[in-house]
Amino acid sequence: MSFSFNGQPVAAHAGETLAAALMAHGVEGVSLTRDGEPRQPLCNMGTCFDCAVTVDGRSLVRSCLTPVEDGMEVHSWQNH
Amino acid sequence: MIRTDVVVVGGGLLGCATAWTLARDGVGVVLLERDQINAHASGQNAGSLHFQLEYRMVERGLEAAQVAAEAMPLHLDAAARWSELGEAFGPSLGVAQTGGLMLAETADQARVLEAKGDLERSHGLDVRLLSGDEIRDVAPYLSPSIVAAAFCPIEGKADTRTAAPALARAAADLGAQVSTRTEVVGLRRVGRGWQVSTRHTDAVGNQVGEEIQADVVLLAAGVWTQHLGQMVGLDLPIIPLALQMNVTARTPKFLPHLVQHAGERLSLKQSQDGTVLIGGGWPARLRRDASGRPRLSERPHLLHDSVVGNARAALRAVPRLAGIPLLRTWVGMTTVAEDQLPVVGPVPGRPGLFLATGGSAFTLGPTFARVLADLAQGLEPTIDLAPYGPQRFGESIDVA
Amino acid sequence: MAEPLTCDVALVGAGPAGMMAALTAADHGLRVTVVDEQRRPGGQIFRQRPPEFPHQPWTPPAGYPWASSLLERAESATDIDWRFQTTALGVVHEERDDGILLATTGPGGSALLRARRLVIATGAFDMPVPVPGWTLPGVMMAGAVQTLLKSQQVLAAERLVLAGSHPLLLLVADQLRSAGADVAEVALARGLPTPREALGSLGAVPGHLSLLGDSARAVARLVAGGVRISPRTVVTAAHGHRHVEAVSLTQVDRQWRGVGQARRVEADALVLGYGFQPSAELARQAGCAMRWDSPAGGWVVAHDDRMATDVPGVYAAGEPVGVSGAEMARSQGRLAGLGVVSDLTGHNVDVELEEADRSARRARRFARVVQRMFAPQREALADLAGSDTVVCRCELVSRGAIEQVLDANPGMSTANAVKLECRSGMGPCQGRYCETTVGTLVAGRTGRPVAQVGHFTAHFPIKPVPLSVLGELDGDVTSGACAHRHHRAEGSQESGE
Repeated sequence: MSFSFNGQPVAAHAGETLAAALMAHGVEGVSLTRDGEPRQPLCNMGTCFDCAVTVDGRSLVRSCLTPVEDGMEVHSWQNH
Repeated sequence: MIRTDVVVVGGGLLGCATAWTLARDGVGVVLLERDQINAHASGQNAGSLHFQLEYRMVERGLEAAQVAAEAMPLHLDAAARWSELGEAFGPSLGVAQTGGLMLAETADQARVLEAKGDLERSHGLDVRLLSGDEIRDVAPYLSPSIVAAAFCPIEGKADTRTAAPALARAAADLGAQVSTRTEVVGLRRVGRGWQVSTRHTDAVGNQVGEEIQADVVLLAAGVWTQHLGQMVGLDLPIIPLALQMNVTARTPKFLPHLVQHAGERLSLKQSQDGTVLIGGGWPARLRRDASGRPRLSERPHLLHDSVVGNARAALRAVPRLAGIPLLRTWVGMTTVAEDQLPVVGPVPGRPGLFLATGGSAFTLGPTFARVLADLAQGLEPTIDLAPYGPQRFGESIDVA
Repeated sequence: MAEPLTCDVALVGAGPAGMMAALTAADHGLRVTVVDEQRRPGGQIFRQRPPEFPHQPWTPPAGYPWASSLLERAESATDIDWRFQTTALGVVHEERDDGILLATTGPGGSALLRARRLVIATGAFDMPVPVPGWTLPGVMMAGAVQTLLKSQQVLAAERLVLAGSHPLLLLVADQLRSAGADVAEVALARGLPTPREALGSLGAVPGHLSLLGDSARAVARLVAGGVRISPRTVVTAAHGHRHVEAVSLTQVDRQWRGVGQARRVEADALVLGYGFQPSAELARQAGCAMRWDSPAGGWVVAHDDRMATDVPGVYAAGEPVGVSGAEMARSQGRLAGLGVVSDLTGHNVDVELEEADRSARRARRFARVVQRMFAPQREALADLAGSDTVVCRCELVSRGAIEQVLDANPGMSTANAVKLECRSGMGPCQGRYCETTVGTLVAGRTGRPVAQVGHFTAHFPIKPVPLSVLGELDGDVTSGACAHRHHRAEGSQESGE
């Protein structure tokens, strides 16, 4: 299966979390700070929010808790 | 024993602004705060600079609104003083008077706005009614369900996070003594002045007592004012209230106004940090002891109906809020008098003791501060305090 | 009461404490609903692979041979209403309270659980350490690296440096190496246990020999594999442009203060493992009293001998009451479950309580030794932050900014006041990753103990959610999920459901 991240296709396995798929894909800025600096998952257990993404329009979704679904549209979440 | 001209009790916005005003006037002042500066209502309220009559004042009909409108001279004065403070202090106060809208979704609410506007204009407030199309131009973020809105150009906001501490620092720079973790445990008239007994918690946790002698004591202690009043035999008829507030994550700026609603409890604004503050006076529940007395040291309980109701009110007015993450819903305490008017002025029969309480002490804080500072110096306040003074409660408040 | 109850007991957290409490309560006929953010029971320590992955037998982590059967029992307990991928938002109230109202959000939408008792078993998270460069991609917590590897089969990086003080770090290093990673170095802040410490720990060891044995074997494998293990060494910086490229390691004294020059080690990841901090936000939000206990992880939930907190109807078990490991969590989960059972049903559970109490006492002895041996030197860790190092990762508040605020406001001496003034702790993580540093900095600057400086107030919702979720927080959309349970508790009528 696959999903898009910031417009680019990313392949993933069923059961994988978005965070794991993005890490495996070598994505640098899973989320962005308000200065535009990249962030990657820090805790992988839903507490740090550094892995936050926007999924199909829903903001501040923790990618480490979200299983990949085919065709998801995912974007880096940015704090403003 | 410390000697000073004036003791200010309470480190909220009002206490800090009063201490700063006095220090600027060259008066010796000691500010006492039992917790931290800005730790309670001043740091927890919505920071609305609202000068139109609020929902709580118009919901009970025109007659109640007419009583509430008696506070208009305070509103007009506060609007001007916030503007001056904003210029003097800059971003640390976060003052932005970019206008406020009070919304109507029904023809009935629109009629309320009309009547309210007539009343307010007769008291000198600049407020005008916008139609649907005008609203879309001024505030495109509002729901299409809004049919009318009252626009008041001098309304806006100040930053509740930083305003009081900025004023406390300015007061200290001018020589005021600012003492935190210092509780007032006794208050009594000695000679022509007052003796204030305090208890300070030091770094190792010891309670250290200190006596302060002052010519004048100013009570600016929010919900704790009632307790302080009891120390001098006063039973102030003010009622503590617990309210909830909400804040969202930062989001790009889209909401330049203060938004309120004519038909329900709602206030909305975007802070200078980009967060959206959502309030409007939704109740929380005070904790009470077995005999029903409020326990002010405990955090009030969050009410489910308020959480849902406040969110829905906000979503109906500004639909795009739906997708914005909510970060915190918190509770705070304020206090109101039964007639909904502030309580400001000299305490009858207690020369040299003055107080200001009764709600809106953030919004009206700069005005109350000037009034208290004038009273402390024996000057005639520029505002006629007759409608607001504690003397209006008659002798019923005096239990000494 | 107008609305029907969802369950007798609402439980948050499906780790060892939560599973044990849930099974205990259900065994006694109580209706139980369990809320957890993961997809399967286990918590972090027993995190399982997703069901879609090819089946492989699950291997329990070192020292917990009972874990597999506990997981199996939990997964086959169909009389429990499990709500996975569901976030507890907090406790709310009604004008007339006669139970617990827990707001949640999950795949089925927002829900309001009505329960007679609440058990908080929300676990712990890796202790944040504000080392310069810790916001760079490539810096991860030990727990993150481990769960990515074990449950998601993703290797976080190619060449890693692990730095910390907790024994878990050695096990993670070993797992990483077995999975093919190049472990450049393991930097341990403390020295190897002294003979006196080793002797002191003996009394606590029975029952945990296998854990110690596994750790020793991990060390042996690492050493045999040529991995450098450096005692009395801390990480003092992560370097790189948009990603970790190298880290600095420095020798330290017994207080973890740097002695000598830093040396640079090339690596594309830094793994931090300085211990754990209780996830106690739900307990705080619910109003439970907290207690400062640095070796046990910092601010912990106060409780009585049956795990009841000072808030009526609210229990806490496992790491929220003090980070003590899975053995202790399991015992406390049992105690909490029995406490709720005896409270709600009036069943005589004295024998079981006594047995649970005995195993909790055994676990506590071991936990205390571990806590003492590996207690973090908080001042030294906070001091790793340079003036421009970000302390609050969400709001980008630096140590320098916090200290400036403290200097400018001489009367300021609480963590909450600092949070309000400079926004440290006001972002999406709600202060979880800066609180301990802010508290330590305020304590250091004001000369007050952390217990006086206090913790951040935790507010509803304890995890941020879109505002629309609150607008929909009406009834329990999935209530009735455990209505098939006819085994009603004897005391069920008393609260007038």
